[in-house]
Amino acid sequence: MQQFIDTLILGVSFGAIYALMALALILVWRSTRVVNFAQAGQAVLSTYIGLEIHRLTSSYWIALIVAVIAGGIVGGLVDLLMVRPLSRHSGTGPEAAVAPVIGTLGLLAIVQGVVGIFWGGEFRKYPAAFSTDAISIGGSRIPFSPFDIFIVAIVLAVMVAFGFIFQRTGLGLAMRAAAFGSEVAQLAGVRTGRVRTVGWSFAGSAGALAGVLITPNVFLAPNSLDLLLVFGFTAAVIGGLESMVGGALGGLALGLGLAIVLQYLGSSFTFMAAFVVLIVVLLVRPQGLLGKKGARRA
Amino acid sequence: MLKLIPRPLRTLIVIALLAVVFILLADRVDEYRVYQGATIAAYVVAIISIVLLTGYSGQVSLGHGALMAVGGYSAALVVQNLHWPLWISFFVAVLGAAAVGAILGIAAARLSGPYLAGTTLAFAVGLPSIANRFTALGGEQGIGYDVGLPPARFGDSFTQYKWLFWICAAATLVAVGVAIHISRSRYGRIWRAVRADETAAALAGINVARSKVLVFTISAGFAGLAGALFSTTVFLVAPASFSLGLSFLILTGAVIGGVRSIYGAIIGAFVLIIIPIIAETLSSGASESVATNLPAVITGALLVLTVLLSPGGTAATFEHLTKAIRGKVRH
Repeated sequence: MQQFIDTLILGVSFGAIYALMALALILVWRSTRVVNFAQAGQAVLSTYIGLEIHRLTSSYWIALIVAVIAGGIVGGLVDLLMVRPLSRHSGTGPEAAVAPVIGTLGLLAIVQGVVGIFWGGEFRKYPAAFSTDAISIGGSRIPFSPFDIFIVAIVLAVMVAFGFIFQRTGLGLAMRAAAFGSEVAQLAGVRTGRVRTVGWSFAGSAGALAGVLITPNVFLAPNSLDLLLVFGFTAAVIGGLESMVGGALGGLALGLGLAIVLQYLGSSFTFMAAFVVLIVVLLVRPQGLLGKKGARRA
Repeated sequence: MLKLIPRPLRTLIVIALLAVVFILLADRVDEYRVYQGATIAAYVVAIISIVLLTGYSGQVSLGHGALMAVGGYSAALVVQNLHWPLWISFFVAVLGAAAVGAILGIAAARLSGPYLAGTTLAFAVGLPSIANRFTALGGEQGIGYDVGLPPARFGDSFTQYKWLFWICAAATLVAVGVAIHISRSRYGRIWRAVRADETAAALAGINVARSKVLVFTISAGFAGLAGALFSTTVFLVAPASFSLGLSFLILTGAVIGGVRSIYGAIIGAFVLIIIPIIAETLSSGASESVATNLPAVITGALLVLTVLLSPGGTAATFEHLTKAIRGKVRH
C-alpha cells in the first residue's frame, strides 16, 4: 500500500507538467483548429535558450523568465510566418486537411535540426530551482522533492492565471469569442488574427515552461521533448482538446496512470500505455472528460 | 497510338520497361548506387502506403514507421524460427502489418485529421520500446534478416548487393502494379468519393466506416512489405531502424512527391535518397553537428515549402505544367 501511495505521489509532478503541455496544445487548437506538433521543438528551443542564459548569468530565475518570454515570441512567430500563410493558401481536398499537420511536423524537424546544429546532440543537464532529493517528514521518506512542490505550485499558478485571463479580461473574452466563431467575433469587432497570434504566443510560453520544468528530471537533447508532446497530446485528448480544466485533469490522470504503469509493468510499457489510453478515450468518450458531445468533429 | 492498347496492358508494359531499365542500370553503375537502388525500392513501397491512405482517404498517419516494424519483425521471425523462404516472408510481412493495421483502422475510422495523427504518433513512439522488451524479438540488437547469397548460376560478377536490388526492385514493381490496380478499381473510386465528401458518399450507398477500415488495412499491408524490404537493406530488424524519424521521412516523401499520386511516390523516394547526399555536399568542411542535423533541416524545410507553395506536391505541379503547355489551363 505504501508503495502504491509513493507511486501516485511520484506521478503528481509529472502530471502537472503534462497538464502544462496539454494547455499549450489546447490554446492553439481552440484558436486555430491545428494540433501543433512543432510545440515539442518550440519548447526544446526555449529550454536551450534558458540553459544558455543560465550559463551566462548563473541565475535560475532570469533563465526561466527569458525562456518563457522566448517561448512566447517563437510561438507568435510560428503563427505569423507559417500558420497564417498556410491557412490562406490551403485549398480543399485531402491536402487542406493534411497541410497543418505536415507543416507543423516540418517545422518540428527544422527547429530540432537547428537546435542540434547550435548545441550538438549530447545530453545536457538543466538545473533545478530547488533540491530534487526526496523530503522526509517525521523519519519516513516521501518521494516528493522541494522541486516537485515548486513544479506543482507554478503549474497551479499558471492555470489560475490563464483562468483569470480567459474569464475576467477583455483579451480573454476576445479569445473565447474568436474560438467560438471566428466570423461572428469579427463582426463583433474582435481582431481575430491578432487574438490568434496571442493564443499561439501564450501556448509557446506554456510549452517553454513545461520544457524548463521537466528537463531537470530527465535530460535535454534536441528531440528529448517528443515524449512530452505525445503525453501532452494524450492529456489534452483525455480532457477533450477544448477545455483547459479538462486538459489539467487529463494531465494529472495521465501522470498518475503512467507512474503506476512504470512501477508495476516497467518503463517499456509507458509509451504504449499512452497509446492505449488515447485509443480507449477516443473510442469510448471522444468528446473527452469534460467536452461537449460533437466537439471532436468541429 | 498509345490509346489503342487497353489501359491494364499499358500499365503492364510500363512496368516491364521499367524492369528492363533497372536490370540494365544495375549492371552499369557501381555497387553503392545499386545498394541505394534497393533502398529507393523500399521507400517507394513505403510512400505508396502513405499515398493510398492520405491521398485516397484523406487520413494522416504518423505511425506507418511502426507498421513497417510490424512487417519487418513478422518476416524476420518466420525466416529465423520456421526457416520459411524469403519470398513467403514478404507475404507474411504484408499479412502481419495488415492485421495490426485493421485493428488500428477500426479506431482510425472514427478519428479525423489531427486526432488520428496524434494517436498514430503515440503508436509510433510506443511500439519500438515493446520490441526492446521481449527477448524473442531480439531486444535492442534485433534479429538478422537478409536476402542471402545470390544463386551460383548467376556467376561471380553477380554480387550480393545486386541480388538485394533485384529482389527489392521485383517486389516493388509488383507492389506498384497492385497499387495502381487498386486505385483504378471500384475501391479506389469508393475511397476517392469518401475523401471528397463523406456525407455524399454515404448517401450514394457507400459504407464510409468500412471503406476507411479497408483503406487503412491495405495501406498497412504495403507498409509491412516496405518494412521487410527496408530490413533486407540493413540486414536486420531492430527497434532503432523504425524510429519516429522513419515515419516522418516516408510522410515527407509522400508529401513532396504528391500525396495523391502513385507515380509521385517514385519521385518522393528519389528525393529521400538525395536529401542526405545534398546535405553531405553542403556540410563538407563544416562541423560534425552541422553534418548530422542538416538532413533534418532540409527535410523539414522541404515539407513546409511544399505545403506552402505546392500543396499537391511535385506530381501535381508537373500535371499542372503539362496541362498548361497543352493550353488546357487558363491563367
